[in-house]
Amino acid sequence: MLQQVVNGLTLGSTYALIALGYTMVYGVLRLINFAHGEVYMIGAFTGLMASQIPGLPFPAALLIAMAGAAVVGVAIERIAYRPLRKAPRLAALISAIGMSIFLRNLTLAVMGPQTRAFPVPFEVRHFSIGRLRINSFDVLILVTSVGLMIGLHFLVQKAKIGKAMRATAQDMETASLMGIDVNRVIAFTFAVGSALAAAAGVLIGMNFNAVEPSMGMMPGLKGFVAAVLGGVGSIPGAMIGGILLGMAEVMGVALLRSEWRDAIAFGILALVLLIKPSGIFGGNLQEKV
Amino acid sequence: MYMRFTDNLFGSNTSHSKNTGCNSNKDYKRMSFNGPKGGNGGRCNKRKALRASNFWMFGTVVFLAIAVLLTGCSGGSKDPSNSGGSKDTEKIIKIGMVGPLTGDYATYGQSVRNGVQTAIDEINEKGGVNGLTLQLVAEDSKGDSTEAANAIQKLIDQDKVTAIVGAVLSGETATVAPIAQDSGVLMITPSSTAPGLADTGDYIFRNVITDDVQARQMAEYAVSELGLEKFAVLYANNDYGVALKDNFTAKAEELGATIVAVESYLDRDEDFRAQLTKIGDKAEALYIGGYYTEASKIAQQAKRQGIEARLLGADGFYSGKFVELGGDAVEGALFTAGFYSGDTSEDIQSFVSNYKQMYEEEPDMFAANAYDTMKIVAQALEKSGNDRDALKAEMAAVKDYPGVTGKTSFAANGEALKEVIILKVENGRFSRAR
Repeated sequence: MLQQVVNGLTLGSTYALIALGYTMVYGVLRLINFAHGEVYMIGAFTGLMASQIPGLPFPAALLIAMAGAAVVGVAIERIAYRPLRKAPRLAALISAIGMSIFLRNLTLAVMGPQTRAFPVPFEVRHFSIGRLRINSFDVLILVTSVGLMIGLHFLVQKAKIGKAMRATAQDMETASLMGIDVNRVIAFTFAVGSALAAAAGVLIGMNFNAVEPSMGMMPGLKGFVAAVLGGVGSIPGAMIGGILLGMAEVMGVALLRSEWRDAIAFGILALVLLIKPSGIFGGNLQEKV
Repeated sequence: MYMRFTDNLFGSNTSHSKNTGCNSNKDYKRMSFNGPKGGNGGRCNKRKALRASNFWMFGTVVFLAIAVLLTGCSGGSKDPSNSGGSKDTEKIIKIGMVGPLTGDYATYGQSVRNGVQTAIDEINEKGGVNGLTLQLVAEDSKGDSTEAANAIQKLIDQDKVTAIVGAVLSGETATVAPIAQDSGVLMITPSSTAPGLADTGDYIFRNVITDDVQARQMAEYAVSELGLEKFAVLYANNDYGVALKDNFTAKAEELGATIVAVESYLDRDEDFRAQLTKIGDKAEALYIGGYYTEASKIAQQAKRQGIEARLLGADGFYSGKFVELGGDAVEGALFTAGFYSGDTSEDIQSFVSNYKQMYEEEPDMFAANAYDTMKIVAQALEKSGNDRDALKAEMAAVKDYPGVTGKTSFAANGEALKEVIILKVENGRFSRAR
């Protein structure tokens, strides 16, 4: 059972990384960025290509992937969302879905449909504590995602740009009247969210040794569920939501039947929407919606 | 890489004819878009405020143009040859193909298309069928049954194909088989393995080993020859996985073995640790009812959890990617298959080298079955001529056709009778275990 807890934590922390991107973008723009799963996938591909450069250490490859995805995220915002910022929200949503399909098929066209292996850049070690087995991947995933989340927390709470992000999230027009360059803040939000998704993409792609164009679909949806669960727009909510969702899925398999896995994930989505649509931490956004 | 993609997607066309086709499409699109709205420039002078929306229209046009470029060309594989052959259609036999050429299942559809194309190229090089040239019309189903139904309707009504190789996925085949049957067009699937598909009617054939046969043979091999007694089963919750699981467990239990755990997963799952932790070390062997994409991940995660059970599986394992993705975690895995590209016989080696030359990759079982299927259809066509009904009768009479997937005959219901071989992963390569 303890083993299943470790399984749930590592799965959940990757969901949390993806959920953060949804939640941050929603926070400032009130938009569900449905192309986020594709950013995750592009991040994984970038990381794969970077890690094939001989002699490049893994952290550098991870950073390249995050930077690459950040550029893609900013480009998506510039091309598909910014021109529609004053349009009805439905238009931006449709644009997001279109962007998602476009990016997936573009990658399919350029990279081909085959799954690619992700070379493991370090020696995999196993640690046994009693009956519990932990390997380097579990540690890497937990350390990286927790590290990124702490970094994000400080960025948002302490840095000047983080303050600007929070101001923009509260009221975009007032923020711009106060001299905040809203466009820059939004672009920055997309960059950070996309970089986190790319980190998740690289970690998952490497852990499961597989990178392919449609890999972003399910994690993208699950990340969305995690964001809703924690309260869309709330950063701690996305972290908690991701961990809870991962645990719920793994425990569903462990205690019930494995067929129930996705039914549990999306059942949670339906339940949250019915009972507390604002999610666990979502209360403070009510007045905006 | 990009070149390889275009080769795959657009078949054997020269890039020149492909480009002209698409450019004209694009131009047409652009004109028809601007035309009705008064593309003479008058509109542009109206108001500055329109500029933003013009930017968007421009964006939309570009997007449409790209869409046309992508979709128009994949469908366009037939255009150049169509116009070239229009004056002597009498000398051409059209063969249809339906399957996922784009989308999540593109890898299967492309293999089938490439296998059929390889066979057609070989046949045409040797003078065709009774002097008639074979021509492939490949339609993309995107893995969607509705798209497949539309595509097959088009092949039958518009292209008037003589026979159809396809569909590729079992779901697609179940949907389109009744359409082919009602229209009286021979359809033979080289890859759909769900039980009962060939029973749709007398125009519907299948040239692939079915799931139930494979699973039973593996259970028999594992129990009787390997002496294994305790099995866990992990299967994909789809037609393929369920048929494998049902038949494997039934046969294994019939032979006195115990099934200690049965767990499932969904297509495209990546994380199997929860299921594997549940299975633990209870079993001597783990039978995976699914495709290599998931099976290679299962193998790796099992190894990391310290599960030492032997891996067993079916033809879904059969791809170079299985070893590439699974690494040393799949070493020693055993699986049933209908084709072995490492076989030293001359037929198989010439097929493998022809295929490699065209598509720069090893043919997989989809390609091999598709190749044999096309050759069998061609052989029947030689006797029947370009006639849909006579062709059906000749197909039913095929007996012991010696192809790259072994000897093939057809049972009365259109089901192929083929031999099942068992392959093993040894030192990162496939070798024949039985």
